[in-house]
Formats: sequence, C-alpha cells, structure tokens
Amino acid sequence: MSTGASSGGPVNRRHFLRQGARTAALAGGGVLLGLLVGRTSARGTVWQIDPQKCVRCGNCATSCVLKQSAVKCVHAFSMCGYCQLCTGYFEPAPNDLNTGAENCQCPTAAIRRTYVEDPYYEYTIDERLCIGCAKCVEGCNQFGNGSLFLQIRHDRCLNCNECAIAKVCAGDAFRRVPVNQPYLLKAISH
Amino acid sequence: MRHDSMMKRRGFLKAASRGVGTLALGTVALSSTSKGLADSGKAPNPFAVELDHLRKVDPKLVLYETANLFPGRQTEPRRFCAAANGLLYVAGGKAVRILDLSGSEVRSIPCPDSVRAVAVAPDGLIYAAMSDHVEVFDAEGKPVSTWTSPGEKAWFSGLAAGKDDVYAADAGNRVVWRYDRKGQVRNRIGVKDAARGVPGLVVPSPYLQVALGRDGLLRVNNSGRHQIEVYTPEGDLEFHWGKAGGSIEGFCGCCNPIGFALLPDGRHLTCEKGVPRVKIYSAQGEFEGVVATPDLFPENSRPGQPRRSDGMLGGLDATVDAAGVIYVMDLVTGEIRSMKLKAPAPGTTAPQFKKEKA
Repeated sequence: MSTGASSGGPVNRRHFLRQGARTAALAGGGVLLGLLVGRTSARGTVWQIDPQKCVRCGNCATSCVLKQSAVKCVHAFSMCGYCQLCTGYFEPAPNDLNTGAENCQCPTAAIRRTYVEDPYYEYTIDERLCIGCAKCVEGCNQFGNGSLFLQIRHDRCLNCNECAIAKVCAGDAFRRVPVNQPYLLKAISH
Repeated sequence: MRHDSMMKRRGFLKAASRGVGTLALGTVALSSTSKGLADSGKAPNPFAVELDHLRKVDPKLVLYETANLFPGRQTEPRRFCAAANGLLYVAGGKAVRILDLSGSEVRSIPCPDSVRAVAVAPDGLIYAAMSDHVEVFDAEGKPVSTWTSPGEKAWFSGLAAGKDDVYAADAGNRVVWRYDRKGQVRNRIGVKDAARGVPGLVVPSPYLQVALGRDGLLRVNNSGRHQIEVYTPEGDLEFHWGKAGGSIEGFCGCCNPIGFALLPDGRHLTCEKGVPRVKIYSAQGEFEGVVATPDLFPENSRPGQPRRSDGMLGGLDATVDAAGVIYVMDLVTGEIRSMKLKAPAPGTTAPQFKKEKA
C-alpha cells in the first residue's frame, strides 16, 4: 500500500501537473484565440470616421492613444479640382503660391504639390508626416470640393475597445464598420 | 484607560470624518476632471483655419441692405433667375419653382431629374438644365422638348437664353454650349485655343455660369483663374477681368466667383463661396462695393459644417430683375433676399456709379 501509495503518489502528481499544464495551455490558447476572434470575425468591426459627419475639430491629432495619430488625411482624386491655388495646401489668402511655410496650411509639411500642366497641380499626402489635424481638410471643404478627408489607417490603429478619439469627437463621426469594408471613402455624385 | 479609550474613539471618529470629507472632495475633483476631459472636444481647435479676417468687411464698402427675405421653396437649390414677366424661377430638387417677387409660389414645374439651372427666353419659353441635358417648357410649364445630351461627362451648371440662342454652361466638359432654339449645337465657347488667345476654362468645382449681356456678349466665370471672361457668341475672347486674393477687390479661395449676374447697365454682381459674399463691379471689372456680407449667411459660412458630396450645394447665387432689383439666394438655407441701396449716412451722398454703356 505504502509502495503503491508512494509509487502511485508521484505518478498522480506528475499526471496532475501534466494535466494542469495541458489545461492551462488550452485555456491560454483559448483566451488568445478568443482575443483574436474578438478583434476580427466575431465582433468583425473596426473604427472609422464618417467623412460626411467630420467637422474638422482637431481632436484626431491630439486624442489618439498612439504617439502619432492613426488618423490620416486621404485624398479622393476623382473629386479634386487640381487647383493651382488649393486651399487645402495654401492658406486662404497666401502671399504667394510657393512652398514657403507662411503660405502653407499643413503644420508638418505633409502635402506634396506636383505640377501636372498649366494650371493644374496634384496634391498627395505623406502619411509618415500627417498628424490628422484636418487643417487641410477644412481648407478644402470651405472653398473646394472636399476631396481631402480624414480616415483611420488600419495599419496603425490598435482598434481599442473604447476609442479615445471617438470619446471626444465633436461631430460624432466615429463609428464601427465591418472589418471587410474598413474605409468610408468619399465620391462625387453627379 | 476608559478616558484614553473614549479619546481614541473620538479621535477615530474625527479621523474617519476627515477621511470621508477628503474622499468626497476627491470624488468631486475627479468627476470634474473627468468631465473636463470628456468636454475637451469643445476646447478651441489649435488647428482651426482662420477666416475671420476675410469675413470682415469695411462697413463703408457695403452699399446695399436687405429689403425682403423669403424662402426659396426649393430643396437643394442650385440657380435662379428673374424673368421679364416679373417672376423668379428657382432651380433645384426635381422641379422649377416659380415665385412672385414677394416669394409666394405661383407654379411648380416637375422635371425628370435634379434641376441644375434655369433660364427664360424673351418669348417666355422656359429652359431647365438637368445634369446632362436641357428640358424645354412653355410659359405654362407644359413640356415642349428634351434636348440631346452632349455626353456622359456633361455637368450643366448654368444657362442663359437669348432671342436666337441658348447657352448652357457645362462644368464637366469645361465649355459653354451654344444651341439654337431647337437644341442644335452651333458652337462651343471657352475651349482652350492658343491660336484664338483663349486660355481655356478652369472649373475645379461645378459652378460654371453664363450670362448674356444687352450688348450681345457673353460673360462666363472662369473660376479656376478667378476671372470673368467676355466672349462673342462665336467664341472669341474679347477681354477678361478679375484677380485672386483675400482682399475685398479679389476673389478668395481656390475657385471663385461661383456665380454672377448682370445689372441692366452692364455692371456685374459676383457671388463667392467659402467666404460667402456678393460684390458689385463695373462693366469693365472695377470694384465698386459690397452688396451682401458674409454675416448675412451664417449657415453658409460656418466652419466645420459637413458638406454634401456633389460639391455644389453651398455658396450663393444672384439675379437681377427687369427693374434692376438684386436678389441673392443662399444655396445652403435656400433663402432668397432682395437687396436695396442703403440710404446715405447723414452728411454723405449716395454712391455715384460711373455710367456704363448698356
């Protein structure tokens, strides 16, 4: 009995530990799987900005939990007028149409202006520099067609359960969208 | 011992009440801090685009004041015109609304599509521009004909009708189509042509407008170049005027003026978006004064307002009736206001305008 007990005791403990480890591993795996599933298919949504509701309040630049906001300006080229005096790029009444900082809207020089043909220019966003402040978006909306607008870029966004920007969004423009359609793009209606 | 024990209890109670007080204060402080954080969306925007300096107008330059204000009775108003019969024709929605000069609806003409512009010929026929073609109605609003579309790219945004011709401003093709009264294209105006000295129309947003002067010449707004251009009906560019700039004499933003009208004496009324204002220029384009200031259109000039997607549901339009009365329509609110010359301030005289050839 004692031998049996002594021989059975360690075997049982080992068995118990093995079983415990397996259970813990399974539980851990389950939790991990649950988290992954929660971020993708089960909940199946990500945060996005409705550009028709955005009021360019500036909170996207200052309220994201990331050091540099996951919100970036994007450009719907089909809506753009390719203006020589783009009010997304230039101050509303610039001294001159050149790249001098005093003439430009963007605080981080994230917009590149490229000559196309007289009098048209193309404007592209350097997302590494864009902080999502929406200054260009407001300039474009006030005077132009609104082809510049903000979107959450999902290569950066952490998809927090409670988005810090959504909490303070002045236009109530943040909403969850299906993960397989993660962007709300603007298009011109004829 | 008993005394000590009582003191301890008292001390305990004092300490407890202090603790509760501190906790309550802390809770209040914390909640107010949280509220402050939650309200941070209302804090001033450090990235706001400053336009106030453009919206301020020297009162001495303001020559007109509102005489009457009434609803345009139109959803999504686009353009309007005053006809020789003393009625206003308002384009928008899927109808042309006909109003008397006090704003009462006289008639409504249903249309097959969204109406982008309207013009009335001297004989009373009504021309309504859909996005890509023209519908013709008789004076009673009965359909007369539907003209052929110049193609998918067409985006009509202005119309003018004369005795022999109808001119359709097509922002999509960046051209003004000259039609005969039956709808046949006679020629195109504003196409880039270096040999004829025509620089070409630049139309960043769909606000191309055309007006026919009493001198038989056409005026077209080349908004991307911040100019009004004057053409013969055959398409020769006679002259142009206008400059970009934030000053009151210039046209602000990327693409202005978005609309204009001609006074009976040949002077121009111009409408701008972004900084919604109506100004008056001589027939040669010299700045004379301001008709309507941005503060009259608060909804139109409110920063951060959401924009509808087709780019042509903001700004202003203007027209002038046969008596020379100016009407201004706010394309955001749909309101129409008639304007009258301001009475001169005591000790001053009324503004004197240089007489232009009509």
